[in-house]
Amino acid sequence: MATVTPEASLNALPRADGSARYSYAGYTVTASVNGPIEAQRRDEHAYEAHVDVIVRPSAGVGGTRERHLEFILQSSLSQIILVKNFPRSVIQIVLQVESTPENAYVNTKLVQASLNLPIIPALFQTAVLALLSAAVPMKATATSTVVAVVSDDGSKKIVADPSPQDIREATSLHVLAFTSHDELLLSESEGDFTVKEWDGVYENAQKICCQTASKQDGIDMVLDDDASSPDMRHFLRSTLETKVASDLHWK
Amino acid sequence: MPREAEPSANEKAFLLKALQDEQIRLDGREFDQYRPLELTFGDEYGVANVSLGKTKILAKASAEVTVPFADRPLDGIFTIATELSPMAAPHFEVNRPTETEVLLSRLLEKTVRRSGALDTESLCLVAGQKCWSVRVDVHVLSHDGNLTDAACFAVVAALRHFRKPDTSMENGVLTVYTPAEREPVPLGWLHSPFCVTWSFFGEEGETALLDADWMEEQVRVASVTISLNRHGEICQIAKLGGVPVEAVALLQCTSVALTKVKEFSTYLDDKLAEDAKRRDKGGFMAELRAENDRIVG
Repeated sequence: MATVTPEASLNALPRADGSARYSYAGYTVTASVNGPIEAQRRDEHAYEAHVDVIVRPSAGVGGTRERHLEFILQSSLSQIILVKNFPRSVIQIVLQVESTPENAYVNTKLVQASLNLPIIPALFQTAVLALLSAAVPMKATATSTVVAVVSDDGSKKIVADPSPQDIREATSLHVLAFTSHDELLLSESEGDFTVKEWDGVYENAQKICCQTASKQDGIDMVLDDDASSPDMRHFLRSTLETKVASDLHWK
Repeated sequence: MPREAEPSANEKAFLLKALQDEQIRLDGREFDQYRPLELTFGDEYGVANVSLGKTKILAKASAEVTVPFADRPLDGIFTIATELSPMAAPHFEVNRPTETEVLLSRLLEKTVRRSGALDTESLCLVAGQKCWSVRVDVHVLSHDGNLTDAACFAVVAALRHFRKPDTSMENGVLTVYTPAEREPVPLGWLHSPFCVTWSFFGEEGETALLDADWMEEQVRVASVTISLNRHGEICQIAKLGGVPVEAVALLQCTSVALTKVKEFSTYLDDKLAEDAKRRDKGGFMAELRAENDRIVG
């Protein structure tokens, strides 16, 4: 039962500085952020904060795959967090995967060492939401999406938010993230593709991630051309607006 | 990682004075009252989300086919993994088990595994060659005291909700069916044990509280965890250190624990029935079911 539109709730965990729960396209991730907190000797950096990302799978112990995801997220999140403001401290982001899309036609194996690109947008989005809820200073917010190139009778087709079935048939898979200044923040690809295909993927992903930037006057206008891909930036904004409105309810 | 801030002397004194002189708990609960317990199941089988006040736990059961241990060729493998992440509280570290974590996993082990709640012999597929390995991962999302009771409830709920893929054996060939081919089957479940933790306060442990929250846990002088099922069969009693408690008081604690366990048990049964109704495809699928009804006690 995959959710059609992304859903998120903020500050679900009372003990963390900030937290978020995000579910979209069959993935559900909970994130908590603590920071800036005291750093241990090995993580301490004299000029900037260390961003500590921990990814925990829903079943089994984390392995190389989780370390790889942590590395990708850590390097891109350190770009947007103002790490220079907090020397000698740690910003700790824990991402707990709760559920992943099911495939009724395959029995899942517990230990899979393979690359797992499709989960990155969910992890990334949850981390950004949790960082915002923890009020960690950032240069910009960011949105992320996954795009697959599926060959359809000789012609190549670009599918945003592919299903597990699409992913299996895809010739290449791309994860892109953009900051709120429309800058490319993260690009990870897997499979065979040409430069031209990648350009198409880039355009498509940018449309999903950066739509509202040009249409700030009317929220209703966003849903005009293709309803298939949700507008991530608008989603991020509306989630936080709801949160702020409920926080300032007492005024 | 940063050390957890201990409650100040004032906070401790306030809590103790309220308890002993006024017979009032800080959150206004009765001494033998649990915080509101809530259980929700995920979309998948075997995912239980439990919240006990501000303590939140996610348990997920999963199964895969492996080779059984050489010394136990007729038994399947059943493990409970409890790893506290910094999500629960920032002072927990990854890959460095704290005392809380070790105690929690040992208590769950004793309560659920060693009491034979799961029939491990039914997990055997081919003697000495193939068996199911059932694993429950306990994820503590938020730690506000009484992890043991909440985690135990979550583990039992997840396992009773869980369905493993159906299998068949033909001419020595083992087939594991996908959920699309055959409805997954529930585990062989024998009884449902639950933990009930009492905390003792005062110099001789004269005040006993049920379901202490994190603040109360830091101030208590002793605690005892009693695991039992709804029939009053005690699986274990763990009293790890602390001040000595009188035997009569312990007996009283056990009898109250039994009533609480009956409440848990009924609550879980209701929730499972509710979830089954929600998932029930009815009609033809019900007719095609291969498994026998099992009486769960």
